[in-house]
Amino acid sequence: MTQPRLALAYWLVPCALVGALLSTVPQSARGADDPRVWLQRMNKALATRNYDGTFFHISGGRVETMRIVHRVRSGRVTERLQSLDGSGREFVRANDELTCYLPDQHTVLVEPRQDRGPFLGSLPQFDATVSDFYRIEALPDTHILGRPTRVIAVNPKDQFRFGYRLWLDEKTAMPLKTQLCDSRGQVIEQIFFARLDMPESIPDSDLAPTVHTDGMRWVRQGASADNASAALAAYRASQLPPGFRLTVQGAQTIGGATAPASHLVYSDGLATVSVFIEQSSSDSGAPSALDPQAQAPEAPMQGLARVGSGYAFSTVVQGHQVTAVGEVPAQTVEFIAHSVKISSGAEIPHH
Amino acid sequence: MSEQIREQVSAFLDGELPDTETELLLKRLTRDGELRESFGRYALIGEALRGAGSQILTRGFASRVNLAIDGEPAQAPAHAQLRREARWWRPIAGVTVAAGVAAVAIVALQQRSISPRLSGATTTAQNVAAPLRAAAPTQLPLQGGGGPREALSYTVVPAASTEAPSAIAPARLTNYVFAHSKYSSGLGQRGLLTDLLIDDDEVPPIPAQRAMPPPPAPDTRVAP
Repeated sequence: MTQPRLALAYWLVPCALVGALLSTVPQSARGADDPRVWLQRMNKALATRNYDGTFFHISGGRVETMRIVHRVRSGRVTERLQSLDGSGREFVRANDELTCYLPDQHTVLVEPRQDRGPFLGSLPQFDATVSDFYRIEALPDTHILGRPTRVIAVNPKDQFRFGYRLWLDEKTAMPLKTQLCDSRGQVIEQIFFARLDMPESIPDSDLAPTVHTDGMRWVRQGASADNASAALAAYRASQLPPGFRLTVQGAQTIGGATAPASHLVYSDGLATVSVFIEQSSSDSGAPSALDPQAQAPEAPMQGLARVGSGYAFSTVVQGHQVTAVGEVPAQTVEFIAHSVKISSGAEIPHH
Repeated sequence: MSEQIREQVSAFLDGELPDTETELLLKRLTRDGELRESFGRYALIGEALRGAGSQILTRGFASRVNLAIDGEPAQAPAHAQLRREARWWRPIAGVTVAAGVAAVAIVALQQRSISPRLSGATTTAQNVAAPLRAAAPTQLPLQGGGGPREALSYTVVPAASTEAPSAIAPARLTNYVFAHSKYSSGLGQRGLLTDLLIDDDEVPPIPAQRAMPPPPAPDTRVAP
């Protein structure tokens, strides 16, 4: 560690004073207490601060320890997310590339990334549209890591999307704890910081991957310069859950595929779902990027799978493989994938 | 887990463990898998006590269910049901469930009663190498053409399965998730990426009856 961690007493004393002062101010006069303002502060902290933390990722009673290192220097973001006790996998984002080291797969997956969102995630500005489908509220303040903490809930108004609860450090607005919840408030997944340093500077060595890449296979995938075939690009979701709309349409090379898939992105302003429309795998014969020895399956893919905090659902529409993926409930990806069909004259927002 | 550690974990989850002790607990947790499992169970219990409800979706649970019912054939439902039933993909026969292969966490799904009504196959892909079979794929009855519409209510009617399609291979899922995640600017991206870091291996045991409802087919039972 380049800096001593923030001491308990350092936080408690000033925050207790501020808390005592604020408690005498009428609620209506405390614009700074608006939960939306706190979400904005969190977004800014996640994107612009240096931090180095260890957190627990807790899902279904299983705990993984991970380390996040995030550095902003001269406007450039370098970030590393590392599993400390599991697979040994690491993600590094630098120079507009996301590199995923998967030592258990003997594979390094590289994808160009222009996005600036931090690994720890942020929430978009809440406009009127988002407010139609999510309710934002402040919950009673508490303490995490001994620090006074604001608690903000982003509650979905229906079962087509997930919500969040965020415990934000009163001083820095960093999320010390985050929960992903379903529409009934049940916790699906949470992260919980055990240590969070915010040093002035972070050395390159803390951002370098620890994985040895000798003998590993490097695979590149990304948005394709070529368009998807007209046959694939003509497909759209014909029905959408409330609030979702098409925001991006483009072409995407999936793994080592020879022909690009049509890639549609649907969003309600907070949650996003990608839909990939491909030639049926039995037609393309493209092997998986992570499993080049395996031939493409003869039968089309069909079914639902959980992918982290979201779901993927794959089905076949008129001979095409359709896969919907997103950080949404299972029924949302199923709903969207099943509604995909040929559309004439759809508006096409391009990449 | 000693009483002292138990108290430390409890205090930590309540946000009341002093810094110095948190540091020690963290060191223990990163090197002690057993303690991590206990910690995970505590976290679950803590959420339940706080009234948030416990999380039942469990990574790797499908493996245990399939081990319990291995060799028994899947059956398609005879009729559409108004309530969503949990079903899953599984090896056709006698296939050993491989653990630790998955690049993406793939889990069993809890039975859900949801509205608008939705019935159909809730399936779980969980084995990379084995040929898998659907209990019943679902279809959405759609009307008319034109642009996308917002559906206010819908019903998914299970259709008879005439083929034996493959589940989504985990390696391929990883590729989809990576491709998707750059458009997922919210906290969801963090969720997707952190989960990609996790190997689907060494899953702590969760009581089956708590994590999974009985399967719909009468001849498939989850071992207690």
